[in-house]
Amino acid sequence: MKQLFSFFHTISLFHRSLMAGAVVCLLASCDLIEFSPNETRTPEAYRNLTQKNLERLQAQPNPTGGDTVRFVFTGDSQRFYSEAEDFVKSVNQQRNIAFVVLAGDVSDFGLVRELRWVHDKLQQLRMPYLTVIGNHDLVANGRKAYQEVYGPLNYTFTYAGTKFVMVDTNGREYGFNGRIPDVGWVQRELREPAPEVKRQVVMSHVAPMSEDFDPKVVGPYVQTLGDAPRLAFELNGHNHDFSIGKPYDNEVTFINSYSFEKRQYVVLTVWGEKEFKLETVQF
Amino acid sequence: MRRLFLLPLLALLLPAPAPAAHLGAAVPDTTSVAPAAATTDEPATPLGLIAQPWYRPHHVLVQAAGGQGMVAAGVGYTTLRGKLDVDLLGGYVPKKYSITPMGVFTGKATYSPFTLDLGATKWQVRPLSVGMFVSYTASKGINSSRDEKYYKGYYWWSSHTRIGGFVGGRVARVIGTNRLGQPRTVAAYYELGTNDLYLTSAMTNLGGLPLHDILTLGFGVKLDL
Repeated sequence: MKQLFSFFHTISLFHRSLMAGAVVCLLASCDLIEFSPNETRTPEAYRNLTQKNLERLQAQPNPTGGDTVRFVFTGDSQRFYSEAEDFVKSVNQQRNIAFVVLAGDVSDFGLVRELRWVHDKLQQLRMPYLTVIGNHDLVANGRKAYQEVYGPLNYTFTYAGTKFVMVDTNGREYGFNGRIPDVGWVQRELREPAPEVKRQVVMSHVAPMSEDFDPKVVGPYVQTLGDAPRLAFELNGHNHDFSIGKPYDNEVTFINSYSFEKRQYVVLTVWGEKEFKLETVQF
Repeated sequence: MRRLFLLPLLALLLPAPAPAAHLGAAVPDTTSVAPAAATTDEPATPLGLIAQPWYRPHHVLVQAAGGQGMVAAGVGYTTLRGKLDVDLLGGYVPKKYSITPMGVFTGKATYSPFTLDLGATKWQVRPLSVGMFVSYTASKGINSSRDEKYYKGYYWWSSHTRIGGFVGGRVARVIGTNRLGQPRTVAAYYELGTNDLYLTSAMTNLGGLPLHDILTLGFGVKLDL
């Protein structure tokens, strides 16, 4: 009987601690209350991160100074949270990194909570980070989740004379509807660079060489890249491994990122018209 | 076809009606005029599945959150001498928090093996519940992970169907008797749970994702019919 009582007592204590935990979490608004894993509700601290990161970036002097820009290139953080912690530690030790770019598949299941978990890790970076949407980020309600947490699916920014064109190329997720990527928009952003734009970089998740890129759009897209007057290279993710090459006749360079799981990333240093140096770092 | 997952729940409901001898097994309760002569160690519990068609629900419930809708309402059944509840809920999440409004249809089983001995009172506390749920989310805007866009196995999970588990507890109060003369209760409960995708995220990142990150909280009220 005594044992039984102590058993109940234990359960009651367990129960009380759970309740206490729940109350503390509620007060600290740790987002226990969830209507659906597919909901897109986003607390202010996790909203419009692209815009917030860009504001931070524009306010920050270029660490390398002058014409050179040095940044970390990675991709596919999807469900690699332990690796994300080590990634942040490693990048924070690098010198003169202006920002980090993440080539899509921030999440694995397209859930808003995953985007928040990734941001919980990446907000520990000493420098701003910018993302482009990946195919996994478009599953379920992922499109709206990404828009709430990060922002527009296509956007551009210019830093240290380098214009970055970030574009959604996840054609398969739209059933190859012939409109993804938005080639007209990419064309307009690349065609006549402003005088302060010394070079251009296009970044997207799925490369045109991939079977997940809308076959109807490959031709016009690749031609648009080839026609861009100051394109240094295109950056992609999706393959979870590093590669660099010029797969098309127009000599456009494509660089693919490691995923977080590979515990490696690329440091790119870009200067001059299309000059760049590429280093890979293990973590 | 997509609702087939509810079938096992129906099977749970099917155990034959309990022996009529249980009719008087309720504790004598102050508000009741039931002919409850027998006494037992078990406190007042709705007996369920007695002398009524199996399909007639034993209680109605409303719930908030817990991954089953901003609000959800449904019906449920009680068996195993009040220890097992099987509930069916329809939940709603407005467009504001989605691409298009979501309907979340959930079947769940909640097992609450213990009742605290509070002596003669109308209150009844079941301090620990464990349960499982299966839910299907219907919403036009949801980009399905398994349709003609993909070849088979492109994504391993369904963007519509979730399986989850939870622990919880409930406090009930006897508010009269039902038409069979058994005590009728209204109960408040909570569920602290997670789902297959969150669990997968945590299990593949031991130490990398804090436990509280994957928890969800839901709470609701059940009213015996």
